[in-house]
Parts: sequence; structure tokens; C-alpha cells
Amino acid sequence: MDLGISALNYVSGIKNNEFTVEEFISKSLERINEVDKNLHAFLQINDVAIKNAKEIDAKIKSNQDVGKCYGMPISVKDNICISGSKTTCASKVLENFIAPHTSTVVSKLSSEDAIMIGKTNLDEFAMGLSTEFSAYGPSKNPWNTDCVPGGSSGGSGVSVAANECIASLGSDTGGSIRNPASFCSIVGLKPTYGLVSRYGLVSYANSIEQIGPMTKTVKDSAFLLNIISGIDPNDNTTLDNKDQDYLSNIDEGVSGKKIGVVTEMTNPDGLSTDVLNATNDAIKTFEKLGANCEHVSLQMVPYTVAAYYTITSTEAGSNLARYDNVRYGYEMDSSGFEFNSYISQARSKFGPEVIRRMILGGFVPSAGHAGKYFLKALKVKSKLITEIKHVFEKFDFLISPTVPIQPFKFGEKINDPVSFMMVDMNTVTANLTGIPAISVPYKITNGLPIGIQIMANHLEENSLLQAAYALEKTVDLPEVSI
Amino acid sequence: MTKIGLEIHCQLTKLESKLFCSCRADYREFQPNTNICPVCMGIPGSLPLLNKSAVEKATLIAMALDCNTPSKIAFFRKNYFYPDLPKNFQITQLNAYGNTSIGWEGKISVGDAKIRIRRIQLEEDPGRIIYEGATEKTKLTLVDYNRAGTPLVEIVTEPDFENPHQVREFLIILSDLLENLNVSDPGLEGAMRADANVSIEGGSKVEIKNIGSFHDLEKAVHFEITRQESLAEREIEIVQETRHWDDGRKITVSARTKEEEAEYRYHLEADIPWIRINDDTKNQLQVHMPESISSKKERYVSKYGITPQVAGILSSDRYFSELFENAKNETNAKDVANMITTDIMGLLDTREKRDSSKLNAEHLSALIESIKSSKITRTSAKLALDEIIKNGKPLQQIIDSLDLGHVSDEGELTNVITQILKEEAKAVEDAKQNPEIVNFLVGKVMQKTQGKADPELTLTLLKKSLAIG
Amino acid sequence: MVSEEEISNVAKLMKIDLEDHSSHIKRVQKMLEYFDILDRANVESEEITVQETDLDKLRDDKYVPYDKDLLKFLKSYQEKYVKAPKLN
Ligand SMILES: [Zn+2]
Repeated sequence: MDLGISALNYVSGIKNNEFTVEEFISKSLERINEVDKNLHAFLQINDVAIKNAKEIDAKIKSNQDVGKCYGMPISVKDNICISGSKTTCASKVLENFIAPHTSTVVSKLSSEDAIMIGKTNLDEFAMGLSTEFSAYGPSKNPWNTDCVPGGSSGGSGVSVAANECIASLGSDTGGSIRNPASFCSIVGLKPTYGLVSRYGLVSYANSIEQIGPMTKTVKDSAFLLNIISGIDPNDNTTLDNKDQDYLSNIDEGVSGKKIGVVTEMTNPDGLSTDVLNATNDAIKTFEKLGANCEHVSLQMVPYTVAAYYTITSTEAGSNLARYDNVRYGYEMDSSGFEFNSYISQARSKFGPEVIRRMILGGFVPSAGHAGKYFLKALKVKSKLITEIKHVFEKFDFLISPTVPIQPFKFGEKINDPVSFMMVDMNTVTANLTGIPAISVPYKITNGLPIGIQIMANHLEENSLLQAAYALEKTVDLPEVSI
Repeated sequence: MTKIGLEIHCQLTKLESKLFCSCRADYREFQPNTNICPVCMGIPGSLPLLNKSAVEKATLIAMALDCNTPSKIAFFRKNYFYPDLPKNFQITQLNAYGNTSIGWEGKISVGDAKIRIRRIQLEEDPGRIIYEGATEKTKLTLVDYNRAGTPLVEIVTEPDFENPHQVREFLIILSDLLENLNVSDPGLEGAMRADANVSIEGGSKVEIKNIGSFHDLEKAVHFEITRQESLAEREIEIVQETRHWDDGRKITVSARTKEEEAEYRYHLEADIPWIRINDDTKNQLQVHMPESISSKKERYVSKYGITPQVAGILSSDRYFSELFENAKNETNAKDVANMITTDIMGLLDTREKRDSSKLNAEHLSALIESIKSSKITRTSAKLALDEIIKNGKPLQQIIDSLDLGHVSDEGELTNVITQILKEEAKAVEDAKQNPEIVNFLVGKVMQKTQGKADPELTLTLLKKSLAIG
Repeated sequence: MVSEEEISNVAKLMKIDLEDHSSHIKRVQKMLEYFDILDRANVESEEITVQETDLDKLRDDKYVPYDKDLLKFLKSYQEKYVKAPKLN
């Protein structure tokens, strides 16, 4: 049995009686047992997964209706709630938090008979791009365990890349799906803002973040997006996609399409030569496929990282204010404390990056400083939206490297906050403007992956997946050996 | 000149559910912390779901107060840490990027004065802190979150009041208006709260918070003016500050926490998109807006010939004006109005009595009809009212069971009169000299028949017996 | 540069007890310094853009009792009240 198969191949494998759900799930659990001590993709394993598998097998045997996922093991980033189980956000502050509700995305997958195999590691509250800020220790890149897997959905990326599960759900606030997808050589899709419900996702920067699929193939992302997308009465910001099928015409190709190569994303300081070469190669590939590529400038891009950190810190400062350890949290005796000193003491359990974001989030929107920071950041965001609107009048897609660099070593970037932030340069634009973006594995150089990012206009996931699939078909990448 | 401004908080108690979740808007009958859910408790992963009717009802208030209303409304987060605030921010409104609050720049007449409304906004109520013991110096705070998320409309006035009396008048008018709009029940405990700001000539503005009831608001304002005036007399500077109303001692005290330190970090609430309110919607709301109290009053006077005084009393009370509207017809309106204001209002003078009353408009019109057709007397009608309020049975049934029907049988009445004439021999003598005494004898007959005797027939028969007239 | 004192004050307002001040403060200072780039974006005249929806898309006003005893999910309570530290 090959644990490295795609979701679609898994489904046909079950349908053709090549293996049972129970067999696949127990093999996957064995695999996790074997490799995860080292990789640390998971924070928690679903201890009723085998039981779930047996139930689905029984349904299959007795010819009952079975959901589209046929018991495939899917991992879930640990900032997405599943009722009755822990959701820690990789924070000590939520060490014992048990969610009373299930996120819409997990409900939808469960009702299609997917099995949530476990909860995956992340940077604390999704603030980071390497999992080095997880309170429970980092995840490791299966291509080279001395390197970071990317983040913040690093555990999700690792779990898929290392064949611990078929697919994963991540969340993407500024690249948190695409960055680890690129670093782990898998596919990661950040959908249009509002296409996928955020109900049950623990908010970090709620105006720009989305849940999305992280998969082995582009088709798998389309398959999962079919299930998790659409309007949700539990999320006022969701959009109606009229039950679009993202899989049916995915092999449409890119012939005649116009692709803009974003100048500001292909020449930033710190762009690695290998990444640049891979990108130029991808551009040539697209042209061979009949697309028309030309450079295009988005003048706001150089300001987007600052705008992104300003906006996300402001929203995080507000979203994380509720962690005062009064209604939920960890044990800490309150006797002798006054309210303010108690919660200040309790909140010192936040990790260093969260603490810094809290301080930034208190500073940049404050009455005396909002004009210099927060308002300007919002205006950069607005102007970027205008630029993007104009660009998509002319182009069908935009492309860039997903990340300007390849996976870096643990500890290599963490001490320089500014160069750390710059790693987000190419991914934050899609979040600030709400457009969909996907990272497609394109190359392995020096034993480490490089991903290509494709962006499309609002709600153009259909054509975006077509372009991604066209590119994916041209590459033949090695399997990770672990 | 003394300047007083108000910030009124009014719960939309006529809504079924809270502002952002499906918990009950009226939390009053729940055990502590049983009217809560992940949304109003700010459990991680929950999202606010805006209540459509809350937007509509709040917009009605804005329209009734002559405000401008926006084409889009937006919500903001007001960030501060407090135990009664589950998310440690309050979802509220702010006119930061254009006018996006429910309403702005309205006005309302209070006597001869025009009070300008600065802004109206829709927001969530926090939970309630229930201290353990009586003092604040206890070791812990106990919180009941049942109220958290209750829809609240904040009405901010310009500092246009000149004295506490105007404040009281305004509050009465506003309460009646909100009740008439069927958005709130101002009589419910905690449904209407207010903060005030007060300044006298040459002094700084002082905010008074924590005022529990409208009754105390007038007192607090009065106290504060007196306090400031006495400071001014002694040439002591009036500092800009926030003071709390001490309910026990009925005074204002300086707030220990410095409010100027507050840094609310307002920013847009992205979980709720901006809500478009198009002209169609506004027109619909306008069309279905309950008739204003003043136009009701005018109509009662001009159409039904009711006295302005009675019309004023009737129109300003939603419960009784509804009863009136449903009971009145082309011919009985004046009588219905009079019976409500002279008899029924006295019988139903508390919320509890109204709630348990079984009286409906049919009863009332039947009652008027019966009096008019001399089926029962006004005195009997009062007895019947008592009974209807208690058990709600049809009027005829009550007339029968209490035997309230008119005695218009000549034979029966003659028997009673003969008896009275015997008992009141002196009066009978006097009546021959002074015809006015006849009325006294009519009264006696009424007494004997428990008010059931047909007054006209009684008079005729008496005169006949006395051979006068 | 934003002063250390200012940053410490903000930390206090955000209810963060800073034990190891210096490392955090330096890093926050560096980040804020980088944010100065926003001054060069030339965006003063821009309007804020937002997501919009229609009134009829919103939830109907209906009471639906929550089906779990949420209080049991909460950390510390006394009788039926949630326990918080004293206020003063
Ligand atoms: Zn609720």
C-alpha cells in the first residue's frame, strides 16, 4: 500500500477494493508513529480514527451511501476547532482549551466521511513562518530536517509531504498555507476571502485570513475546495460560489491566457538566484503551454509587508485580548490578584512573537499613532486593491516565486526581525487584496523545494486551478525520502 | 449657562435574540450564565452574526428622532479589558470613515426647546458583574454573562439641556417614543440607562456614569449642578473628570480610574461586512413605522372629538392607545377613550396588572354598547370591568353571573320604590317642596338595586308616585 | 525611534508583563522602524475599502437556545457565576 497516493487515487483505491479504510488509516497511524517523533507535524492524534475507519468500511460493505472522501485521513491545523477536543493554537495559553463547537470546514469534511487524523503544529496563534514559534517545539522539514518546514501551517505541510496523511487543512493570513506548501513541496491554496467559512477558525487577523487545502496534487486541492467552499450561515463574510465544481474542467490548459510576472516579487532584496532561475523556468514553461507572459508592476508591493504586519498586529491585539485566563485557559490561582495584575501575569504565558505582536498591536492603532501606521497601512491595502483590479483587467494570472528563498536552517532567520518579515513579501498581496493564490511545487534544488505562486482575480479559483494543474503536469519531482 | 448632554442606552427588548447570536435578548428570567453561547461568550473560533431586525429597529429609532440615516452601516471594535466583556472588546459603531452609524444629527422637541441628537449607534451590552458581598473590596468578582450581547441603542444628545427638569421631560418623551415604536419596553429593569455630562458657566465638562435608572439621572444631574455651583462660588476650579453616581449615598464621586488613560484602539470589525441599507428598505421602514405620538394625539382630537387632555394621555401610552384603536368605532370613540382614561388606567396601573389582565378590545366595545343601550349602568359597568380583567369571560356571561342587568321591569321597580318611599318618609315630605330631593331618592333606589335600576325609568316612576313634575 | 518607555507603556496597556524587557523592546523598535517605509507609499488620498453585504443576507431575529451547558466548558466558576479576580 502506497501512503503517498493522492486523494483522488485514494478514493479509486477504496472503490476498487485495493485496500480498506481501516487498513489505510492504521498504516497512516503507523507511519505517524514512526516518523513524527522526528518531524513533529502533529500536536495531537485522533484516538478514535480506527473506530471511524471501521464504521466507514461497514458502510461501504453494506452498500450504504458513503461520502466523497471514503475515510481518507486528513490532518487539521490546530487553530481549527473540533468539538470536544483540544485546540491549542500551539500556545501554552490554550493548553487545555476544549472547543465546544466544530468548525464548518471540518463539519463539511466529516459529513463527506473524511477522517480527521490529528491536529497539526503551527507557529503560536499562526504568527510566524517557520513553526519555530510553536510553544510545543518546531516541526521539521522532511526534505532536510535541519531546515524549517515553513509556516505557520508547517505541521500541515509536513504531515502531507511526509505521507502521514492524504491532505491537510491550513490557514493563511499572509502566506501561512503557501509558504509551508512551497517549503515542503506540496500544493497549497489560499482561497478568495469569503469563499471558505472561517467559523471555528481561531482568529488572528480576521479581515484577511482564510482556511484552505494543502494537498499532494492540484486536483486534490480542487477536490477539497469543492467540499469546503460556499456560503455559511455561521460566517457573515462568506460568499456564494453557486456550488461551483472546481474539478470538472481542470485540464482546460492556459493556451491564450495572459500571465503577468510581478516585477516587485521577482527582484526583491534577498531573492535567491536558485529561486529566480526556477521562476524564469516556470515562465518559459507557461509560454510553451501557450500562455503569454509579460512583466507587470504592482507599485504598492514594496509597502505590503509593513502594511501587513501593521494590520495583522492591530487585529491580533484585539482578537487575542480574550485570552485573559478568566473564562478558559490554564490553572492559575487568582486569589490575591487584582484583575489587571492577574491577567497581565496570565498573559505572560504568551510566547515571544505573540508578545511582540501584542505590543505592536497596542501601538500602531493607538490614538497618537494610528495616522502614521494603521491608517496608512489600510490605505496601502486600498491602493493595492485598486492596482490589482486594473492588472486583472489585462491579465488572467499573476505569477511569482511563492517565497523569495528556499527553506532555511533553524535559528538562521529568527534573530533578524526585518529579514524574517521579508520572507512574506510575495504572499501577503493575496491576503491584503482578498484574491486567491496557489503554490505549486516546481523544483528541487540542492535537495530543497521551490514553489511557484499563481494568483487570479476574485473568485477565479476555477481558472487558477486550471493554470496550476497545467504547470504541475510539466514537472516530475522526486519523492521525499524519510 | 448650564449645559447638560445625555448618553442614553436603550436595550431593544422587543427583539427575540441578541445582537450577534441566537440567545434570548431579554435575559431577565434566566438562571445566571444559562443564556450564553460560544458567540456571546467570545469562545475562540466563534463569529458574530448580526441580527437583521436589530438594524431595522435601531433605524426606526433614528428615523423617529429625525436623524440622517446612512446608506451603509459599519461596526467597530472598542478594545478594553474588563471582566464583564467576554472578548475584551465591545462591538459598537463609530463615524470614523464617513457616517456609518445607525443615525446622526437628529432632533426632538422637549416643550419649547429643541434637543439635538448627535449620534445613534447600535452596540452590544456587556455582561453583569455581581460582586460577592456588598463592597468592592472583596477577594473576587462574580460575573453573569446572560446580558452579554443584548442589543443596545446608544443615543447621544448635544449638550442642549439647561436644567434637570428638561432632562426629565425628555426622558419621559423618549421612553414613550421608544415604547410607541415597539422597539423597547422602557419599564423593564435596566432596559434604559443613561450617562450625563454637565458643565456650568465657565467650568469644565464633567461626565457622570453609572446611573442606574432614569429617576436617579435627574437627581444626579441636579446634584452635580449644585456641586459645581458651590465650587464656583468658592472660586474652586471645576476639573474635567469622570464621576460615578453613588446610588447608596445619592451623590457623585470622582472615579478612581483615570478615564483619559483609556486607549480604545478602535478599528473596523471585519467579521461583519458593511451592511447596505438602500432607499427601498428605508421607505419600507418608514411606511411601517408606527404612527408618532403627536400625530396620534392630533387624530384623536380632530377625528373623534376627544379632548386634547384625554387624547394626550391616551396617545402617549402604547398599551392603552392600542386598546383604544381596537375597541373604537365610528360612534363610540369618545366613550371608549373616556372609559380607558377614567376607569381602566386606574385598574391597570402597573406592569404586572397589565400583563395579567384578560381585558380585550371586544370586551371594551361591548361594555360601551351595553351602557349606551341602557343594558347596564355605568356603575355596573365598573363591576363588570373588574371581573373581565380577572377572568376575561364574555361580557354577557359576566352580566348574567353577577346579575348586573338593568332592572327595567316596571313592576319590580315599583316594589322597590314603594319600599324606599316608606323608609324615607321625611324626604318624601321635603320633595314636595323641593323637587331636587327627587335625585336623592333616585340614588336610594340605585343603592337598593346595586346600581342596576334604569335611571330614567326610576325617575319617571318616582315622580309618578310623588305626583310631581 | 520609538522610546523604550513608550513601548513598555503599551505593553502594560495590552496587559503584558514584560520580565525580559530589553530583547522584546529592541525587536519591536526594529519592526516599527521598518514600518516607517509606509511614509513613502504616498497613499494619503486613498479611501478605505471594505467588504459589503445586503441587509436581507443577515440572520433573522429568532431565539434558538444553545444546546450545551457552556458553563461547564468554562474554567472557574462559583455556583452559577463565572469567577474573576477582584477589581480593586
Ligand atoms: Zn449567545
